[in-house]
Amino acid sequence: MKKWIASLVIALLPAFALAAADPEQIVRGVSNDVLVILKQGDKDPAKVREQVDARVSPLADYTRMTSLAVGKYWRQATPEQQQALTREFRTMLVRTYMSALTIYKNAEVDVKGTRPGADADEQTVRTEVSIPGQKPIPLDFYFEKLGSNWKVFDIAVDGISFTVNNRNQFGAVIRKDGIDGLIKTLSDRNAKLAGGGKQGG
Amino acid sequence: MTHSILSTLRLCGLALLLAGCASPQNNYDPIEPVNRGIFSFNRAVDRTVVRPVAQTYADYTPGPIKDGTSNFFSNVDDLFGSVAALFQGKFGEAGTSAGRVIVNTTFGMFGLFDWGTRMGLDKGKADFGQTLGHWGIGSGPYLMVPFYGPMTLRDSADPLVRLSWGPIDYIDPLWGQIAYYGVYLVDARSKLLPLDAMLDSQIDPYAYLRDAYLQARWNKVYDGLPPHPLPLGEPDDDDDVPANSNASGVASEAATATMVSGDAAASAPVPASTPASVPASAPDAATP
Repeated sequence: MKKWIASLVIALLPAFALAAADPEQIVRGVSNDVLVILKQGDKDPAKVREQVDARVSPLADYTRMTSLAVGKYWRQATPEQQQALTREFRTMLVRTYMSALTIYKNAEVDVKGTRPGADADEQTVRTEVSIPGQKPIPLDFYFEKLGSNWKVFDIAVDGISFTVNNRNQFGAVIRKDGIDGLIKTLSDRNAKLAGGGKQGG
Repeated sequence: MTHSILSTLRLCGLALLLAGCASPQNNYDPIEPVNRGIFSFNRAVDRTVVRPVAQTYADYTPGPIKDGTSNFFSNVDDLFGSVAALFQGKFGEAGTSAGRVIVNTTFGMFGLFDWGTRMGLDKGKADFGQTLGHWGIGSGPYLMVPFYGPMTLRDSADPLVRLSWGPIDYIDPLWGQIAYYGVYLVDARSKLLPLDAMLDSQIDPYAYLRDAYLQARWNKVYDGLPPHPLPLGEPDDDDDVPANSNASGVASEAATATMVSGDAAASAPVPASTPASVPASAPDAATP
Protein backbone atom coordinates (compact mmCIF):
# COMPACT_ATOMS: atom_id res chain seq x y z
CA MET A 1 0.00 0.00 0.00
CA LYS A 2 2.74 2.39 0.99
CA LYS A 3 4.63 1.53 -2.13
CA TRP A 4 1.53 2.10 -4.19
CA ILE A 5 1.01 5.58 -2.76
CA ALA A 6 4.65 6.42 -3.27
CA SER A 7 4.55 5.44 -6.92
CA LEU A 8 1.34 7.42 -7.38
CA VAL A 9 2.98 10.50 -5.89
CA ILE A 10 5.99 10.06 -8.13
CA ALA A 11 3.77 9.61 -11.16
CA LEU A 12 1.80 12.75 -10.39
CA LEU A 13 4.76 14.95 -9.49
CA PRO A 14 5.62 15.95 -13.04
CA ALA A 15 1.98 16.89 -13.64
CA PHE A 16 1.99 19.21 -10.65
CA ALA A 17 5.32 20.67 -11.64
CA LEU A 18 3.96 21.31 -15.11
CA ALA A 19 0.83 22.99 -13.87
CA ALA A 20 2.77 25.30 -11.60
CA ALA A 21 5.48 26.07 -14.12
CA ASP A 22 6.24 29.75 -14.55
CA PRO A 23 7.78 31.11 -17.76
CA GLU A 24 11.34 30.82 -16.46
CA GLN A 25 10.88 27.15 -15.58
CA ILE A 26 9.28 26.51 -18.95
CA VAL A 27 12.25 28.06 -20.73
CA ARG A 28 14.73 26.02 -18.69
CA GLY A 29 12.87 22.82 -19.40
CA VAL A 30 12.36 23.39 -23.10
CA SER A 31 15.86 24.65 -23.81
CA ASN A 32 17.36 21.63 -22.06
CA ASP A 33 15.19 19.29 -24.10
CA VAL A 34 15.91 21.07 -27.38
CA LEU A 35 19.66 21.01 -26.77
CA VAL A 36 19.46 17.29 -26.06
CA ILE A 37 17.65 16.78 -29.37
CA LEU A 38 20.27 18.86 -31.21
CA LYS A 39 23.17 17.03 -29.53
CA GLN A 40 21.80 13.62 -30.37
CA GLY A 41 22.08 15.08 -33.84
CA ASP A 42 19.94 12.93 -36.06
CA LYS A 43 21.53 12.93 -39.52
CA ASP A 44 18.23 13.89 -41.10
CA PRO A 45 17.63 17.61 -40.52
CA ALA A 46 13.92 17.19 -41.23
CA LYS A 47 13.69 14.74 -38.36
CA VAL A 48 15.49 17.06 -35.94
CA ARG A 49 13.11 19.80 -37.01
CA GLU A 50 10.12 17.54 -36.34
CA GLN A 51 11.37 16.61 -32.89
CA VAL A 52 12.08 20.20 -31.92
CA ASP A 53 8.75 21.33 -33.31
CA ALA A 54 6.89 18.66 -31.35
CA ARG A 55 8.53 19.90 -28.13
CA VAL A 56 8.12 23.62 -28.81
CA SER A 57 4.78 23.95 -30.57
CA PRO A 58 2.43 23.18 -27.66
CA LEU A 59 3.88 26.26 -25.94
CA ALA A 60 3.47 28.66 -28.84
CA ASP A 61 0.58 30.98 -29.59
CA TYR A 62 0.93 30.98 -33.37
CA THR A 63 -2.17 33.09 -33.89
CA ARG A 64 -0.77 36.03 -31.95
CA MET A 65 2.63 35.55 -33.57
CA THR A 66 0.99 35.83 -36.98
CA SER A 67 -1.02 38.88 -35.99
CA LEU A 68 2.20 40.58 -34.89
CA ALA A 69 3.88 39.70 -38.16
CA VAL A 70 0.96 40.94 -40.27
CA GLY A 71 0.60 44.11 -38.20
CA LYS A 72 -2.18 46.57 -38.87
CA TYR A 73 -3.70 44.46 -41.68
CA TRP A 74 -4.56 41.62 -39.30
CA ARG A 75 -7.89 43.10 -38.28
CA GLN A 76 -8.91 43.64 -41.87
CA ALA A 77 -8.57 39.90 -42.50
CA THR A 78 -11.59 37.60 -42.22
CA PRO A 79 -11.37 34.76 -39.67
CA GLU A 80 -10.74 32.34 -42.55
CA GLN A 81 -7.92 34.51 -43.85
CA GLN A 82 -6.47 34.78 -40.35
CA GLN A 83 -6.49 30.99 -40.06
CA ALA A 84 -4.83 30.56 -43.43
CA LEU A 85 -2.22 33.19 -42.59
CA THR A 86 -1.48 31.52 -39.27
CA ARG A 87 -1.09 28.12 -40.92
CA GLU A 88 1.31 29.39 -43.58
CA PHE A 89 3.29 31.63 -41.23
CA ARG A 90 3.72 28.79 -38.79
CA THR A 91 5.06 26.51 -41.51
CA MET A 92 7.43 29.25 -42.63
CA LEU A 93 8.68 29.96 -39.11
CA VAL A 94 9.36 26.35 -38.31
CA ARG A 95 11.18 25.76 -41.58
CA THR A 96 13.37 28.85 -41.70
CA TYR A 97 14.37 29.16 -38.09
CA MET A 98 14.81 25.52 -37.30
CA SER A 99 17.19 25.25 -40.24
CA ALA A 100 19.52 27.67 -38.45
CA LEU A 101 19.35 25.69 -35.20
CA THR A 102 22.10 23.24 -36.10
CA ILE A 103 24.75 25.90 -35.34
CA TYR A 104 23.68 25.75 -31.72
CA LYS A 105 24.47 22.09 -31.21
CA ASN A 106 27.15 22.88 -28.63
CA ALA A 107 25.41 25.90 -27.20
CA GLU A 108 24.52 26.60 -23.62
CA VAL A 109 21.44 28.52 -22.59
CA ASP A 110 21.70 30.72 -19.49
CA VAL A 111 18.49 32.14 -18.11
CA LYS A 112 19.29 35.73 -17.17
CA GLY A 113 15.99 36.64 -15.56
CA THR A 114 12.45 37.75 -16.18
CA ARG A 115 11.21 41.15 -17.24
CA PRO A 116 7.64 42.33 -16.72
CA GLY A 117 5.71 42.70 -19.95
CA ALA A 118 3.12 45.19 -21.16
CA ASP A 119 0.68 44.06 -18.47
CA ALA A 120 0.40 41.62 -15.57
CA ASP A 121 -0.35 38.72 -17.90
CA GLU A 122 2.85 39.17 -19.87
CA GLN A 123 6.43 38.36 -19.01
CA THR A 124 9.66 38.25 -20.93
CA VAL A 125 12.26 35.63 -20.06
CA ARG A 126 15.74 36.77 -21.01
CA THR A 127 18.38 34.20 -21.81
CA GLU A 128 21.78 34.13 -23.41
CA VAL A 129 22.92 31.46 -25.81
CA SER A 130 26.65 30.97 -25.76
CA ILE A 131 28.95 28.95 -27.91
CA PRO A 132 32.45 28.66 -26.40
CA GLY A 133 34.70 31.54 -27.51
CA GLN A 134 31.96 33.43 -29.34
CA LYS A 135 29.95 36.44 -28.34
CA PRO A 136 26.87 35.30 -26.44
CA ILE A 137 23.59 35.88 -28.28
CA PRO A 138 20.64 37.27 -26.34
CA LEU A 139 17.50 35.17 -26.78
CA ASP A 140 14.27 36.54 -25.32
CA PHE A 141 10.97 34.70 -24.94
CA TYR A 142 7.79 36.77 -24.70
CA PHE A 143 5.14 35.01 -22.64
CA GLU A 144 1.45 35.73 -22.17
CA LYS A 145 -0.95 34.03 -19.79
CA LEU A 146 -3.81 32.33 -21.61
CA GLY A 147 -6.16 30.86 -19.04
CA SER A 148 -3.85 29.05 -16.65
CA ASN A 149 -1.12 28.41 -19.21
CA TRP A 150 1.79 30.52 -20.25
CA LYS A 151 2.29 30.68 -24.00
CA VAL A 152 5.06 32.23 -26.07
CA PHE A 153 3.85 34.88 -28.51
CA ASP A 154 7.19 36.23 -29.70
CA ILE A 155 10.86 35.32 -29.68
CA ALA A 156 13.71 37.73 -30.21
CA VAL A 157 17.20 36.60 -31.21
CA ASP A 158 19.78 39.30 -30.59
CA GLY A 159 16.86 41.69 -30.27
CA ILE A 160 15.46 40.64 -33.66
CA SER A 161 11.81 39.73 -33.27
CA PHE A 162 10.72 36.64 -35.23
CA THR A 163 7.41 38.32 -35.90
CA VAL A 164 8.00 42.06 -36.27
CA ASN A 165 10.88 41.45 -38.64
CA ASN A 166 8.38 40.21 -41.23
CA ARG A 167 6.05 43.18 -40.98
CA ASN A 168 7.60 45.35 -43.67
CA GLN A 169 7.93 42.60 -46.25
CA PHE A 170 4.43 41.26 -45.51
CA GLY A 171 2.94 44.76 -45.59
CA ALA A 172 4.43 45.39 -49.01
CA VAL A 173 2.79 42.24 -50.40
CA ILE A 174 -0.58 43.10 -48.82
CA ARG A 175 -0.54 46.64 -50.22
CA LYS A 176 0.13 45.21 -53.67
CA ASP A 177 -1.90 41.99 -53.79
CA GLY A 178 -4.12 42.10 -50.71
CA ILE A 179 -4.31 39.63 -47.84
CA ASP A 180 -5.12 36.73 -50.17
CA GLY A 181 -2.01 37.70 -52.11
CA LEU A 182 0.11 37.26 -48.99
CA ILE A 183 -1.53 33.91 -48.19
CA LYS A 184 -0.78 32.74 -51.72
CA THR A 185 2.82 34.03 -51.64
CA LEU A 186 3.49 32.25 -48.35
CA SER A 187 1.88 28.96 -49.33
CA ASP A 188 3.69 28.95 -52.70
CA ARG A 189 6.98 29.51 -50.92
CA ASN A 190 6.30 26.86 -48.32
CA ALA A 191 5.39 24.34 -51.03
CA LYS A 192 8.52 25.18 -53.00
CA LEU A 193 10.80 24.92 -49.97
CA ALA A 194 9.20 21.66 -48.89
CA GLY A 195 9.93 20.24 -52.35
CA GLY A 196 13.51 21.57 -52.34
CA GLY A 197 14.15 20.31 -48.82
CA LYS A 198 13.53 16.70 -49.81
CA GLN A 199 16.39 16.83 -52.25
CA GLY A 200 18.73 17.51 -49.39
CA GLY A 201 18.79 21.30 -49.63
CA MET B 1 -12.91 47.42 -47.73
CA THR B 2 -13.94 51.01 -48.37
CA HIS B 3 -12.94 51.71 -44.83
CA SER B 4 -9.47 50.40 -45.26
CA ILE B 5 -8.98 52.39 -48.46
CA LEU B 6 -10.30 55.44 -46.71
CA SER B 7 -8.02 55.01 -43.74
CA THR B 8 -5.10 54.30 -46.03
CA LEU B 9 -5.80 57.57 -47.80
CA ARG B 10 -6.04 59.40 -44.53
CA LEU B 11 -2.84 57.87 -43.34
CA CYS B 12 -0.95 58.75 -46.44
CA GLY B 13 -2.21 62.31 -46.18
CA LEU B 14 -1.10 62.37 -42.59
CA ALA B 15 2.25 60.90 -43.41
CA LEU B 16 2.62 63.52 -46.12
CA LEU B 17 2.03 66.25 -43.60
CA LEU B 18 4.34 64.75 -41.04
CA ALA B 19 7.26 63.45 -43.00
CA GLY B 20 6.69 64.58 -46.53
CA CYS B 21 6.15 60.91 -47.42
CA ALA B 22 9.93 60.64 -47.42
CA SER B 23 10.06 57.21 -45.86
CA PRO B 24 7.43 54.91 -47.25
CA GLN B 25 8.56 51.69 -45.59
CA ASN B 26 11.05 52.18 -42.83
CA ASN B 27 11.79 55.13 -40.55
CA TYR B 28 15.52 54.70 -40.82
CA ASP B 29 15.98 54.15 -44.53
CA PRO B 30 15.83 57.53 -46.30
CA ILE B 31 17.87 56.42 -49.31
CA GLU B 32 16.19 53.06 -49.77
CA PRO B 33 16.37 52.98 -53.60
CA VAL B 34 20.14 53.59 -53.51
CA ASN B 35 20.58 51.04 -50.72
CA ARG B 36 18.59 48.46 -52.66
CA GLY B 37 20.82 48.96 -55.68
CA ILE B 38 23.95 48.43 -53.59
CA PHE B 39 22.33 45.43 -51.92
CA SER B 40 21.71 43.78 -55.30
CA PHE B 41 25.32 44.48 -56.24
CA ASN B 42 26.62 43.03 -52.97
CA ARG B 43 24.46 39.95 -53.39
CA ALA B 44 25.82 39.41 -56.90
CA VAL B 45 29.43 39.74 -55.68
CA ASP B 46 28.62 37.42 -52.80
CA ARG B 47 27.02 34.76 -54.97
CA THR B 48 29.78 34.74 -57.57
CA VAL B 49 32.90 35.19 -55.43
CA VAL B 50 32.64 35.59 -51.67
CA ARG B 51 30.19 32.85 -50.78
CA PRO B 52 31.86 30.13 -52.90
CA VAL B 53 35.27 31.01 -51.42
CA ALA B 54 33.88 31.00 -47.89
CA GLN B 55 32.08 27.71 -48.54
CA THR B 56 35.25 26.10 -49.87
CA TYR B 57 37.15 27.41 -46.86
CA ALA B 58 34.54 26.03 -44.49
CA ASP B 59 34.40 22.64 -46.25
CA TYR B 60 38.09 21.92 -46.87
CA THR B 61 40.10 23.71 -44.18
CA PRO B 62 41.10 21.46 -41.26
CA GLY B 63 39.26 22.29 -38.05
CA PRO B 64 42.30 23.35 -35.99
CA ILE B 65 43.36 25.85 -38.66
CA LYS B 66 39.85 27.29 -38.85
CA ASP B 67 39.71 27.56 -35.06
CA GLY B 68 43.14 29.18 -34.92
CA THR B 69 42.14 31.72 -37.56
CA SER B 70 38.90 32.56 -35.78
CA ASN B 71 40.68 32.82 -32.45
CA PHE B 72 43.32 35.11 -33.89
CA PHE B 73 40.78 37.63 -35.21
CA SER B 74 38.69 37.20 -32.08
CA ASN B 75 41.72 38.22 -30.01
CA VAL B 76 42.14 41.41 -32.03
CA ASP B 77 38.42 41.98 -31.59
CA ASP B 78 38.74 41.59 -27.81
CA LEU B 79 41.39 44.32 -27.71
CA PHE B 80 39.00 46.82 -29.32
CA GLY B 81 36.03 45.43 -27.40
CA SER B 82 37.85 46.12 -24.15
CA VAL B 83 38.35 49.79 -25.06
CA ALA B 84 34.75 50.10 -26.30
CA ALA B 85 33.50 48.67 -22.99
CA LEU B 86 35.78 51.00 -21.01
CA PHE B 87 34.37 54.05 -22.79
CA GLN B 88 30.89 52.93 -21.71
CA GLY B 89 31.96 52.68 -18.10
CA LYS B 90 31.56 48.90 -18.18
CA PHE B 91 34.71 48.28 -16.17
CA GLY B 92 34.00 44.62 -15.48
CA GLU B 93 33.61 43.75 -19.14
CA ALA B 94 36.57 45.94 -20.09
CA GLY B 95 38.75 44.12 -17.55
CA THR B 96 37.60 40.68 -18.66
CA SER B 97 38.25 41.47 -22.30
CA ALA B 98 41.67 42.93 -21.50
CA GLY B 99 42.42 39.81 -19.47
CA ARG B 100 41.48 37.68 -22.44
CA VAL B 101 43.84 39.62 -24.68
CA ILE B 102 46.71 39.22 -22.21
CA VAL B 103 46.14 35.50 -21.69
CA ASN B 104 45.44 34.68 -25.31
CA THR B 105 48.28 36.75 -26.74
CA THR B 106 50.85 35.13 -24.44
CA PHE B 107 49.77 31.60 -23.53
CA GLY B 108 47.52 31.45 -26.57
CA MET B 109 50.41 32.15 -28.97
CA PHE B 110 49.31 35.50 -30.40
CA GLY B 111 45.69 34.60 -30.14
CA LEU B 112 45.73 31.29 -31.98
CA PHE B 113 44.37 29.51 -28.91
CA ASP B 114 41.56 30.77 -26.75
CA TRP B 115 42.71 29.92 -23.23
CA GLY B 116 40.76 32.86 -21.86
CA THR B 117 37.39 31.17 -22.33
CA ARG B 118 38.67 28.03 -20.65
CA MET B 119 39.82 30.15 -17.70
CA GLY B 120 36.31 31.54 -17.32
CA LEU B 121 36.99 34.87 -19.04
CA ASP B 122 33.93 35.03 -21.27
CA LYS B 123 33.98 36.91 -24.53
CA GLY B 124 32.52 40.41 -24.30
CA LYS B 125 30.00 42.14 -26.50
CA ALA B 126 31.05 45.79 -26.73
CA ASP B 127 31.72 47.72 -29.93
CA PHE B 128 32.22 51.40 -30.73
CA GLY B 129 28.84 51.94 -32.38
CA GLN B 130 27.34 50.72 -29.13
CA THR B 131 29.62 53.10 -27.20
CA LEU B 132 28.25 56.08 -29.15
CA GLY B 133 24.70 54.79 -28.69
CA HIS B 134 25.37 54.36 -24.98
CA TRP B 135 26.01 58.12 -24.75
CA GLY B 136 22.77 58.92 -26.50
CA ILE B 137 23.81 59.27 -30.11
CA GLY B 138 21.04 58.13 -32.46
CA SER B 139 21.65 55.54 -35.13
CA GLY B 140 21.38 57.96 -38.05
CA PRO B 141 20.33 56.69 -41.46
CA TYR B 142 20.63 53.06 -42.51
CA LEU B 143 23.27 52.52 -45.16
CA MET B 144 24.15 49.59 -47.36
CA VAL B 145 27.91 49.71 -47.81
CA PRO B 146 29.33 48.33 -51.07
CA PHE B 147 31.35 45.09 -50.61
CA TYR B 148 30.47 45.14 -46.91
CA GLY B 149 26.84 45.05 -45.90
CA PRO B 150 24.37 46.77 -43.59
CA MET B 151 25.41 49.64 -41.34
CA THR B 152 24.05 52.80 -39.81
CA LEU B 153 25.94 56.07 -39.81
CA ARG B 154 26.61 55.81 -36.08
CA ASP B 155 27.70 52.19 -36.20
CA SER B 156 30.22 52.91 -38.94
CA ALA B 157 32.35 54.20 -36.04
CA ASP B 158 33.25 50.63 -35.18
CA PRO B 159 34.82 49.47 -38.46
CA LEU B 160 36.42 52.89 -38.87
CA VAL B 161 38.14 52.72 -35.48
CA ARG B 162 39.28 49.17 -36.11
CA LEU B 163 40.56 50.08 -39.53
CA SER B 164 42.47 53.12 -38.27
CA TRP B 165 44.14 51.48 -35.29
CA GLY B 166 44.05 47.86 -36.38
CA PRO B 167 47.03 45.60 -36.94
CA ILE B 168 46.97 46.75 -40.53
CA ASP B 169 49.46 49.47 -39.54
CA TYR B 170 52.00 46.86 -38.57
CA ILE B 171 51.80 44.97 -41.82
CA ASP B 172 54.17 46.55 -44.25
CA PRO B 173 53.77 45.23 -47.77
CA LEU B 174 50.49 45.91 -49.54
CA TRP B 175 49.99 42.23 -50.37
CA GLY B 176 50.29 41.50 -46.67
CA GLN B 177 47.48 43.94 -45.89
CA ILE B 178 45.32 42.47 -48.64
CA ALA B 179 46.00 38.95 -47.36
CA TYR B 180 45.15 39.96 -43.78
CA TYR B 181 41.78 41.41 -44.71
CA GLY B 182 41.14 38.67 -47.24
CA VAL B 183 41.47 35.97 -44.61
CA TYR B 184 39.52 38.10 -42.15
CA LEU B 185 36.60 38.45 -44.57
CA VAL B 186 36.55 34.77 -45.52
CA ASP B 187 36.60 33.77 -41.86
CA ALA B 188 33.81 36.22 -41.02
CA ARG B 189 31.73 35.24 -44.05
CA SER B 190 32.07 31.51 -43.40
CA LYS B 191 30.42 31.99 -40.00
CA LEU B 192 27.35 33.45 -41.67
CA LEU B 193 26.90 30.55 -44.10
CA PRO B 194 24.30 28.74 -41.95
CA LEU B 195 22.08 31.83 -42.09
CA ASP B 196 22.10 32.15 -45.88
CA ALA B 197 19.13 29.87 -46.42
CA MET B 198 17.05 31.92 -44.01
CA LEU B 199 17.75 35.18 -45.81
CA ASP B 200 17.40 33.69 -49.28
CA SER B 201 13.96 32.27 -48.51
CA GLN B 202 12.49 35.65 -47.56
CA ILE B 203 9.96 37.45 -49.73
CA ASP B 204 12.07 40.61 -49.56
CA PRO B 205 15.59 39.80 -48.32
CA TYR B 206 16.55 43.48 -48.38
CA ALA B 207 13.78 44.55 -45.99
CA TYR B 208 14.34 41.47 -43.83
CA LEU B 209 18.05 42.11 -43.40
CA ARG B 210 17.54 45.82 -42.77
CA ASP B 211 14.88 45.34 -40.12
CA ALA B 212 16.92 42.59 -38.46
CA TYR B 213 20.06 44.73 -38.38
CA LEU B 214 18.28 47.78 -36.98
CA GLN B 215 16.51 45.77 -34.28
CA ALA B 216 19.73 44.04 -33.28
CA ARG B 217 21.59 47.35 -32.96
CA TRP B 218 18.72 48.92 -31.02
CA ASN B 219 18.79 46.00 -28.62
CA LYS B 220 22.55 46.10 -28.26
CA VAL B 221 22.77 49.79 -27.39
CA TYR B 222 20.44 49.09 -24.46
CA ASP B 223 22.26 45.90 -23.45
CA GLY B 224 19.20 43.80 -24.17
CA LEU B 225 16.84 46.01 -22.16
CA PRO B 226 15.44 48.56 -24.64
CA PRO B 227 12.74 50.87 -23.23
CA HIS B 228 10.39 49.95 -26.10
CA PRO B 229 10.55 48.05 -29.40
CA LEU B 230 12.17 49.96 -32.23
CA PRO B 231 9.46 51.58 -34.39
CA LEU B 232 10.34 50.31 -37.83
CA GLY B 233 7.62 51.97 -39.89
CA GLU B 234 4.84 49.38 -40.05
CA PRO B 235 2.79 49.78 -36.87
CA ASP B 236 1.14 47.07 -34.80
CA ASP B 237 -2.38 47.92 -35.86
CA ASP B 238 -4.62 50.77 -37.01
CA ASP B 239 -5.04 52.29 -33.61
CA ASP B 240 -1.51 53.36 -32.97
CA VAL B 241 -0.77 54.47 -36.50
CA PRO B 242 -0.81 58.20 -35.94
CA ALA B 243 -0.08 57.96 -32.22
CA ASN B 244 2.94 60.22 -32.28
CA SER B 245 2.78 61.92 -28.96
CA ASN B 246 5.13 64.67 -30.11
CA ALA B 247 2.71 66.11 -32.64
CA SER B 248 -0.32 67.80 -31.16
CA GLY B 249 -3.55 67.31 -33.01
CA VAL B 250 -2.39 63.94 -34.20
CA ALA B 251 -4.04 62.15 -31.30
CA SER B 252 -7.44 63.44 -32.28
CA GLU B 253 -6.75 62.27 -35.81
CA ALA B 254 -6.16 58.80 -34.38
CA ALA B 255 -9.47 58.94 -32.56
CA THR B 256 -11.25 59.92 -35.75
CA ALA B 257 -9.58 57.14 -37.68
CA THR B 258 -10.80 54.66 -35.09
CA MET B 259 -14.32 56.03 -35.32
CA VAL B 260 -14.29 55.92 -39.10
CA SER B 261 -13.15 52.33 -39.17
CA GLY B 262 -15.95 51.58 -36.73
CA ASP B 263 -13.76 49.17 -34.91
CA ALA B 264 -14.98 48.04 -31.54
CA ALA B 265 -11.49 46.96 -30.59
CA ALA B 266 -10.48 50.50 -29.78
CA SER B 267 -9.91 49.35 -26.24
CA ALA B 268 -7.31 46.80 -27.33
CA PRO B 269 -3.99 47.29 -25.61
CA VAL B 270 -2.05 49.91 -27.50
CA PRO B 271 1.69 49.80 -26.97
CA ALA B 272 2.16 53.49 -26.26
CA SER B 273 5.74 52.95 -27.22
CA THR B 274 5.19 52.43 -30.91
CA PRO B 275 4.92 55.81 -32.53
CA ALA B 276 4.56 55.40 -36.23
CA SER B 277 5.49 58.32 -38.39
CA VAL B 278 8.90 59.38 -37.21
CA PRO B 279 10.55 61.87 -39.54
CA ALA B 280 13.36 60.20 -41.38
CA SER B 281 15.73 63.02 -40.52
CA ALA B 282 15.56 62.33 -36.80
CA PRO B 283 15.16 58.59 -36.44
CA ASP B 284 15.73 58.29 -32.73
CA ALA B 285 13.40 61.15 -31.91
CA ALA B 286 10.92 58.40 -31.11
CA THR B 287 12.74 57.78 -27.86
CA PRO B 288 10.72 59.40 -25.12
